[in-house]
Amino acid sequence: MGYSAFQLLKEGLTGNKGWRPVWRDPEPKAEYDIVIIGGGGHGLSTAYYLAKNHGITNVAVLEKGYIGSGNVGRNTTIVRANYFLPGNSEFYSHSLKLWEGLESELNYNVMHSGRGLINLFHSDGQRDAFARRGNMMCNQGDDAILLDRDGVRAELPYLDFENTRFPIYGGLFHPRGGTARHDAVAWGYARAADTLGVDLIQGCEVLDIDVDGGKVTGVQTSRGPIRAKKVGIVVAGRSSQVAAMAGLEVPIESHVLQAFVSEGLKPAVNHVVSFGMGHFYLSQSDKGGLVFGGDLDFYASYAQRGNIPMMEHVMEAGMTLMPAIGKAKVLRSWGGIMDMTPDGSFIIDRTEIDGLYMDCGWCYGGFKAVPASGWCMAHLMAEDRSHEVAQRHTFDRFRTGGGLMDEEGTGSQHNLH
Amino acid sequence: MRLTCPICGDRDRREFYYLGAADYLDRPVEGEAEATHRYLHLRDNPAGVTRDLWQHEAGCAAWLVVERNVTTHEILQVSLAKDEIRDAR
Amino acid sequence: MVELVARTPCEGLLPYEAGEAELSEIIPKRITSLAPFEDSTLLKPLKTALGVELPAPGQSVKAKDGRIVWTGQNQFFVLDAEVPALDAAVTDQSDAWAMVALGGAAAIDVMARICPLDCAHMTASQVARSLIGHMPAIIIRTKTGFEIMVFRAFAKTLVNEVSHVMDAVAARGALST
Ligand SMILES: Cc1cc2nc3c(=O)[nH]c(=O)nc-3n(C[C@H](O)[C@H](O)[C@H](O)COP(=O)(O)OP(=O)(O)OC[C@H]3O[C@@H](n4cnc5c(N)ncnc54)[C@H](O)[C@@H]3O)c2cc1C
Ligand SMILES: [Zn+2]
Repeated sequence: MGYSAFQLLKEGLTGNKGWRPVWRDPEPKAEYDIVIIGGGGHGLSTAYYLAKNHGITNVAVLEKGYIGSGNVGRNTTIVRANYFLPGNSEFYSHSLKLWEGLESELNYNVMHSGRGLINLFHSDGQRDAFARRGNMMCNQGDDAILLDRDGVRAELPYLDFENTRFPIYGGLFHPRGGTARHDAVAWGYARAADTLGVDLIQGCEVLDIDVDGGKVTGVQTSRGPIRAKKVGIVVAGRSSQVAAMAGLEVPIESHVLQAFVSEGLKPAVNHVVSFGMGHFYLSQSDKGGLVFGGDLDFYASYAQRGNIPMMEHVMEAGMTLMPAIGKAKVLRSWGGIMDMTPDGSFIIDRTEIDGLYMDCGWCYGGFKAVPASGWCMAHLMAEDRSHEVAQRHTFDRFRTGGGLMDEEGTGSQHNLH
Repeated sequence: MRLTCPICGDRDRREFYYLGAADYLDRPVEGEAEATHRYLHLRDNPAGVTRDLWQHEAGCAAWLVVERNVTTHEILQVSLAKDEIRDAR
Repeated sequence: MVELVARTPCEGLLPYEAGEAELSEIIPKRITSLAPFEDSTLLKPLKTALGVELPAPGQSVKAKDGRIVWTGQNQFFVLDAEVPALDAAVTDQSDAWAMVALGGAAAIDVMARICPLDCAHMTASQVARSLIGHMPAIIIRTKTGFEIMVFRAFAKTLVNEVSHVMDAVAARGALST
């Protein structure tokens, strides 16, 4: 089904009674060429690109809850390509380009808004590091502008520039960075994949993975067994549990990340802004709510909710950077389960089992990766070799220690990212 | 979330530093690459009861082994890491 | 010759008063950190000199010419009194700490806002290591209030944070009368 201005007008005038569900609700078939476990952003985009780029349409996406119930509908929606290290740099660059054409690709308004992202710096050392990052971004073909203090003041006049402890020295401006409407991205990919023939099966939990002689043969689900020639595990925070169904142990620890949203306010924050000295970042949604967050709670958790110390820390950092935010009321807070890897970078790779692939380790930054992750995972599953922009993102880098991608430079250790 | 430090008693989560799975107590033999990889990277990461290492950083500074349910945030048991190591020997 | 002038950690910052709370500086004669070895018989000279045993975790005891305060796992501070020659890890930390007294009827309300401990249930001479805001601190309950020790470099932050909270508690008090 397409959308048009005429249809909107007609439905608007006739009580919106003509809208139909935009994807089917099929019964699972006995067998598929490819089964994708997990109907989050990455699972859906994988299915879409399998059909679109590789012509493989006998595909099912098995989702234990409903489409959009995982992190894809829980994140703070920041989309950017300001990565530094080879591997991450080209991957996120590819992803941002896909974002920029996504609405026409899917014929769906995902509300992608390249409103510009500014990472603030607060010391000489931090300025140097950001200048270097900006150069890397430009080398990659993306955009970066180093702003001095007055440059930042012109864009973000509402910040506290006089803070004695953390004065603002400037910022790295990434004009093409921005946000998108998170669940619209899930719905857009779901609808587009469904249209190409992919079965989206909600309320279908995978309980076991069938392996025969080192080769995957299918899955056992809450809605019965399903045979498959190839299976992709794309379950973000649940990666360890689902991998364990095939007897695999993965380099992942699941952590909780919280986010917050204020009451709706008049447009005030036109960019995505991040504080360089406390864990705090902020944007304003199209509904007017200030959407903000900080760091992980820093303990393993599957609870999808966090604790008060990190909330307090985020609020304190927000007050430090932008005292006026103290006038806004917080409406909601929530948490999501993050699949953290030791080096903070993701994995799109084969496993030891024939026909079984994994796309995981998205940490707190996998929303922006949704298009490129699906693109590369589909390529890997269809052609059985890595796509060139994701070829460094293997399991093996941890075993060998070669090619670790530690963007933050804190060390490749579980609790440091 | 509150942890009961065996030395200091019931304390707020913010006084503690989290290191990670208690796997860190079982150091591999030096030079064993595969064991070192498992020790540093691979994790059971269960969605249920887990054992992990915390330090009472802003309190008595003791290292603790905490048994807790990571789906409910319920704390089941807290013991001193040095006692756990002693028992294991 | 340059003449060096010794300053106390909170010099020029205290005393401070707001509503029913007051904050003042304490200047111990000396602060000696003590980490005993496993063999407790090595501590005999300490007992002879100070007349008391080491306190249990979370406690402090009065001693001859001073106090002994538990300050962590296997660690104690001897305040004021001189520590005799001892087979233990002993370090002079006299100049390394800022120490203040928080008193007055509102002291507990002030602590409730800035410290994660349940301070209202501490009893006199009880000790805890905890936080004041984001600062690691040693907190001693006294008969009249609290004594707080932080690293000397944090003196100004300590006074700033506690006095800020004292103002807020005083303002709240004024509103409710
Ligand atoms: C608070 C918060 C803020 C964030 N902010 C950002 C941001 O600003 N920018 C950014 O780039 N990233 C951000 N992220 C990260 C991003 O949301 C995730 O990395 C990304 O969404 C994960 O991929 P996904 O969409 O496929 O995951 P999910 O949506 O979690 O999809 C996984 C799916 O697998 C399903 N599943 C699990 N187990 C099974 C099973 N056994 N059988 C069937 N299905 C199963 C789950 O139900 C779930 O729907 C944030 C995350 C959080 C929580
Ligand atoms: Zn303790």
